[in-house]
Amino acid sequence: MRVFFRTAPLWLTWLVMLGLTGCAKPPPASDPDALAYYRETNDPLEPFNRKMYAVNNALDAAILKPVAQGYVAVVPDAIRDGIHNVLGNLTTPVKLSNDMLEGKPRRAGDTYMRFLINTTVGCLGFFDVAAKWGYPDHDADFGMTLAKWGVHPGPYLYLPILGPNDPRDFAGFGVDIAADPFTWVGQGAAVTALGYSRWAVTAVDARSRLLGTLSNVKKTALDPYATFRSLYRQHRRSQIQEMENDNRATVPAWFQQPTPAH
Amino acid sequence: MPSRRFLLTVSAAWLALGAGARAQSAETAAIAFVKTTGGRLVAVVNGPGSAQQKRQTLTQIIDQVVDVNGVARFCLGRFWRLASPAQQQRYLALFHQVLEVNISSKLGEYEGVRFTVGRAVPQGDDIEVDTTVYRPNNPPTDVKWVIANPSSNPKIVDVIAEGTSLRLTQRSDYASYLNHNNDSIDALISAMHHQVEQDRASG
Repeated sequence: MRVFFRTAPLWLTWLVMLGLTGCAKPPPASDPDALAYYRETNDPLEPFNRKMYAVNNALDAAILKPVAQGYVAVVPDAIRDGIHNVLGNLTTPVKLSNDMLEGKPRRAGDTYMRFLINTTVGCLGFFDVAAKWGYPDHDADFGMTLAKWGVHPGPYLYLPILGPNDPRDFAGFGVDIAADPFTWVGQGAAVTALGYSRWAVTAVDARSRLLGTLSNVKKTALDPYATFRSLYRQHRRSQIQEMENDNRATVPAWFQQPTPAH
Repeated sequence: MPSRRFLLTVSAAWLALGAGARAQSAETAAIAFVKTTGGRLVAVVNGPGSAQQKRQTLTQIIDQVVDVNGVARFCLGRFWRLASPAQQQRYLALFHQVLEVNISSKLGEYEGVRFTVGRAVPQGDDIEVDTTVYRPNNPPTDVKWVIANPSSNPKIVDVIAEGTSLRLTQRSDYASYLNHNNDSIDALISAMHHQVEQDRASG
């Protein structure tokens, strides 16, 4: 993690340089349909993005996918669910701060109660007891927070390792890492090793849950790259919409309700 | 003699009530349609019979309950107008076959599936019906069914799984393919033909 931070400027420069060399030219104004398509896909870095997509596919086929398949084959469902829950519980600080920054007190309350219940009754997060007790899980990250603040996603980005992205969500990803207390807590080899294993397990967990979906898309799409681009954007939009529509009252039911603002 | 204003008010109220009741019945109809259709699909997926038989029965149901031609036109976007009648016919036929291939390739994953129906929300002329789909060893999935003409001739026009629309995704796939193949509809048709052939060869 710390190495990543120290080398981050280098990585970014490399990315930007590659991106600039691989910029697609917009179609001429004489072709309005093509121009409309170009604006709609909003993917001016497509040549670069497609290269990164190929790189990620190769990495995935060589490392991540086989590991995820092995993980599914060896570890029973119930244990995998438990591990997924523990990883989710560890993201509480980041989630809670984003719930608050989004101005969603009920969501922040859910996150807080989930942490209290699942860390104790749920055996350090292994069992998601809170969901059964009326505190369902939801998504919150700084990319969504920025969206709530009115920041547009910007052009599509396909990044090495991270995959489908956009400048807003990539910035959000960085902020979330910086905001995560686990990034800064403790010193020494053991802590560093724990930090790395957490990211590794998170990657394997996420990949294992997408085994079916990803192979289906690759099998059925004529242009998997474009299909993933569309899926990523639709998914983010729906996460953000769900957050924005979550306007549950913060006043107890027995107290005088405020009149909703129009 | 009731005043004119009174009569107008009453008739306006009656009209509004009528419209409300109609909307209500459209939502009820859409929910009933999703319940029956979902029930039929689940019965086939979880029922007895070989994969081949299930595939045939599912295809029949899909052709009855999904506006496949409408979805196909939507997925081709602006290129539908640019296609010749012969290309349109060829494309529609292939779209039906590709849909069949895609559905049957997922049959295995859906064994043991069940679903619950939630509320219905009008969305323009269509109605969106919320369902939750439960598959063994999978987290529950939110699936919205978009139903056109719910009261007269209900047809599924889109399925939105966890916020991702099937027809929008398919349209961007085709649009990108066409964009990278000189906007040639024949290229798209032959790619779809290849998909169907590949499935025949493997299945």
